[in-house]
Amino acid sequence: MSAYIIFGLLIALMLTGMPISIALGLTVLAFLFCLSDITIETVALKHFTGIEKIEIKAIPFFILAGNFLTHGGVARRMIRFASSMVGHWHGGLGLAGVLACALFAAVSGSSPATVVAIGSILLPAMAKQGFPQRFGAGVITTSGSLGILIPPSIVMVIYAVSTNTSVGKLFMAGVIPGLVLATLLGLTTWYRARKNGYPRLARASLRERLIALRDSFWGLLLIVVVIGGIYSGIFTPTEAAAMSAVYAFIVAVFVYKDLNLKQIPKVLLDSASMSAMLLYIITNAVLFSFLMTYENIPQAMAQWLLDMGLGAMGFLLMVNLLLLLAGNVMEPSSIVLILAPILFPVAMQLGIDPIHFGILIVVNMEVGMCHPPVGLNLYVASGITKMGITELTIAVWPWLLTMLVFLLLVTYWPLLSLWLPRQLGMM
Amino acid sequence: MKFLDHLEEWLIASLLAIATLIIFVAVVHRYASGISLLQDFALTINMSWAQELCIYLFVWMAKFGAAYGVRTGIHVGVDVLINCLSERTRALFVYFGLFAGALFTGIVGFLGAKLVIGIYETGQVSADLELPMWLVYLAIPLGSFLMCFRFLQVAWNFHRNGELPRHEVAHVEGLEPERT
Repeated sequence: MSAYIIFGLLIALMLTGMPISIALGLTVLAFLFCLSDITIETVALKHFTGIEKIEIKAIPFFILAGNFLTHGGVARRMIRFASSMVGHWHGGLGLAGVLACALFAAVSGSSPATVVAIGSILLPAMAKQGFPQRFGAGVITTSGSLGILIPPSIVMVIYAVSTNTSVGKLFMAGVIPGLVLATLLGLTTWYRARKNGYPRLARASLRERLIALRDSFWGLLLIVVVIGGIYSGIFTPTEAAAMSAVYAFIVAVFVYKDLNLKQIPKVLLDSASMSAMLLYIITNAVLFSFLMTYENIPQAMAQWLLDMGLGAMGFLLMVNLLLLLAGNVMEPSSIVLILAPILFPVAMQLGIDPIHFGILIVVNMEVGMCHPPVGLNLYVASGITKMGITELTIAVWPWLLTMLVFLLLVTYWPLLSLWLPRQLGMM
Repeated sequence: MKFLDHLEEWLIASLLAIATLIIFVAVVHRYASGISLLQDFALTINMSWAQELCIYLFVWMAKFGAAYGVRTGIHVGVDVLINCLSERTRALFVYFGLFAGALFTGIVGFLGAKLVIGIYETGQVSADLELPMWLVYLAIPLGSFLMCFRFLQVAWNFHRNGELPRHEVAHVEGLEPERT
């Protein structure tokens, strides 16, 4: 009974368009006030303890690092390196865009940030070369979503926090699916470009490639610092995040000199307010899941789902549909924070691996970011290209279809995600 | 008012910067302690407080950053449905959302204040830094009341000129197209 009240209230409040964090908090407050014996003071205390977990600290650091990289000319050099490597194949700059997004994703933990970093430089260049705008927008919108699949990833940190799984394992598990998705998106790009005869670049000489590599070396080194550092145990994910923020700052300001010291406060402020927003949702989501646990709702729902006799296969299909549906109206962090604590216990009872389940959720979120009405990547791309959302939706579909096929692959082939962490002896 | 705005901005930007530096220094320190050449020097400095301080800095940053976010419109909700409504009905929902925000943050601020007073009376101090805990928890009432105030401010501006702050995700400074 209380489950119906809680979810009814939450959904009703959310549909009024108020911030999700407020809707979560008010639901808890109203329920505690009217129907429960927990003292309402707990709310204030939870508002403090909710963000005490050290893993959560990785989020502001990764956001900060991402902002330094976006403003600091790292993206530009990565694009140059990528186009010198693959620009002469069919798809030209488009294909280079996929590779550049994959490279940038390995230093940034957010998808919209990847679209901004790569898209705002590459899309105008593609238009100049004679690519139809739809093609460029489609490539970058979808490839940008690699940002949350290839480590580091903010969504993975949030999943890890809300389900108590290891951030390090999740990061490693994201590597191979990320590379596979990048390849699939690249193939789609290549195929469509070949069919339509889009322009290609001249083959870069070895010398040009080496120069581009040397130029982007400092950015690429960060991939080693983050992934290598976490894997070898030199850093915890949170420390790796702080290190990459400092590193990105040094590279942007002192090595590439694309960012001057006057711009730093602005970058800090933007990162801080973005992190604070996420942390505020997290706090209220922690409050919400505390209430749910207290009312035994996850267990009850788990039992209800198990009684339906779906089995692992059916359950995963249902999870996919549910998440894709949720992806229509909410952004990833909120979805993970609200739904992961409910779905996770069922997945565990059905013997689904927690890491595999996390990767599956992340891939779902990627798809959700690329289709309307609330695809964050779409809005970013629309901001860069000045294309309408409807037109962009049409532009995106070939790649979106590829992503859906990839989603099925990830869902029903756990080894794709689990092979690398197992090989590395992490699990 | 301008002063409050600037104070808020400076506070959250510097908190993030300081927290980043502290973790950075703590990691460097940990590895310096392992190198024999630097060991003696490194061991004279105690860095065990870093983790704790970082957590408190982030709590403060989160609370005040959330208030700043209300002013800049970064807290998003599900607005698909209400955007389909007529201008007037939509305005009603916007007010409802803003007042709900003010109500919630107001209540949390009030509860937080009670909590701080309760802790003040116990005289509790933090584990490593031995900071008085009430000072740490003070972020909750201060941040929440500020947030409450910001919600009302946004509602007032909406009433006056019908504009809501909008966070432009797509706008990136310093990355102009001609840079290609």
